Amino acid sequence: MVSFAQSIPVPFNLPALREMFEARKRVFVDLLKWDIPVLEERYEVDQFDDEDATYLIVPDGQGGHAGSARLLKTTQSHILDTLFPELCAAPPPRGPRVLEITRFCLGRQLGADARLETRNRLVSALVAYALEHGIETYTGVAEMGWLQQILAFGWRCRPLGLPCIIDGKMLGALRIDITPETPGLLEANGIYRSAPLQRLEFLEAA
Amino acid sequence: MHPFDRAEAFLRDVSETSNESELADALACVSRELGFTYFALTHHVDIRRSPENAVRLHNYPGDWVEYYDENSLGVSDPVHRASHVTSVGFAWSEIPRMIAMTAKDHEILMRGEGRGIGDGFTVPANVPGESNGSCSFANPTGTAMREEDLPVAQLVGAFAFEAARRLWRVRSPLIYPLPQLTDRQRECVLWVARGKSDWEISRILGIQHETVIRHLKQARERFGVGKRTMLAIHALFDGSISFNDILKR
Repeated sequence: MVSFAQSIPVPFNLPALREMFEARKRVFVDLLKWDIPVLEERYEVDQFDDEDATYLIVPDGQGGHAGSARLLKTTQSHILDTLFPELCAAPPPRGPRVLEITRFCLGRQLGADARLETRNRLVSALVAYALEHGIETYTGVAEMGWLQQILAFGWRCRPLGLPCIIDGKMLGALRIDITPETPGLLEANGIYRSAPLQRLEFLEAA
Repeated sequence: MHPFDRAEAFLRDVSETSNESELADALACVSRELGFTYFALTHHVDIRRSPENAVRLHNYPGDWVEYYDENSLGVSDPVHRASHVTSVGFAWSEIPRMIAMTAKDHEILMRGEGRGIGDGFTVPANVPGESNGSCSFANPTGTAMREEDLPVAQLVGAFAFEAARRLWRVRSPLIYPLPQLTDRQRECVLWVARGKSDWEISRILGIQHETVIRHLKQARERFGVGKRTMLAIHALFDGSISFNDILKR
């Protein structure tokens, strides 16, 4: 069962969310050395982690965090249009049916096989979420190695512009179009894992 | 034409292509537009599929190809080896800074030059647990590359490789599910990769010596290999274990 969360309460008091922000710190700050803010030396949280962000969370066997991704609305400022406009040859696609995938995170504790499996479940959940919520296009920024992997999932991807070297890393922007055929395309690459999506519920703050 | 439009035109040409000659034509065309004379798209090795199915598309001069094949350079080519240590396109002149070069490697690059292949630009395409390959663009000896076209070459290379991968998949489909190890087998293979004997592994994991022998025998059978070194290599290649797992202390 993969969860999704929306309008998360701040401070995030749910263990699943806390673990996600901790895992993000370990991956994006400690491992990949991205220059992004850290809260209380434990949580990677930035200005886009607000009530409009949606999170997909893949649990590990013990109910902890194995992998996650953050979806940002493109009808307001998001990563591609604010931080990396130079990666797009034309203004990036936006609208109520377009979401930006950010912070695609696979827990560092995972061994190689669990990592691939978590990746597959997360990619499948992204497709399931889009189909259930009327999302037709995802956009995103990726380093070249990761970009090659994203293409290899077999879904329909198109570049939004030429890759650029930014802070020593070569980055590219992509759009991914999601249709009812997408699960079959992933399936042909051995990626697709069909699983129900469950909304994480929050207790109303007293 | 804006550089990105070139890339887009290429992608339109290959997005639905179902045969190699169309892909080769599109690559030849875009290489010319980017100021390159030669291109080569290759699948370096895939131990799970028969090698004769690997795609190799290029327009190198015939005598260079003959020399390359006669000397089985495909497995040791310094360009290919360098493309395994990075995910970003590189000029061949950078290779000595990327990998340790042997006398033979220098000779290969020089022989290529002697046969009219000068400097080139290679886009690596490494998909974990799957195919390693690359897409190279090269010029005749003495012709310089156009720096400003390299980002287009990077993008074209990445998408060309994916188009080729689609063709391979159709021609030699993988049989799913792929061989999978149990957690215990995986643990044993990890210690094999770290150089431990069966007896040592049994001490480390606190299980019977015979149990380790059985796990490793079954693991070898799953991959269809006879030797423990090949077992470790297959497990690494398909992502059952990773370099990180092995080197972690």
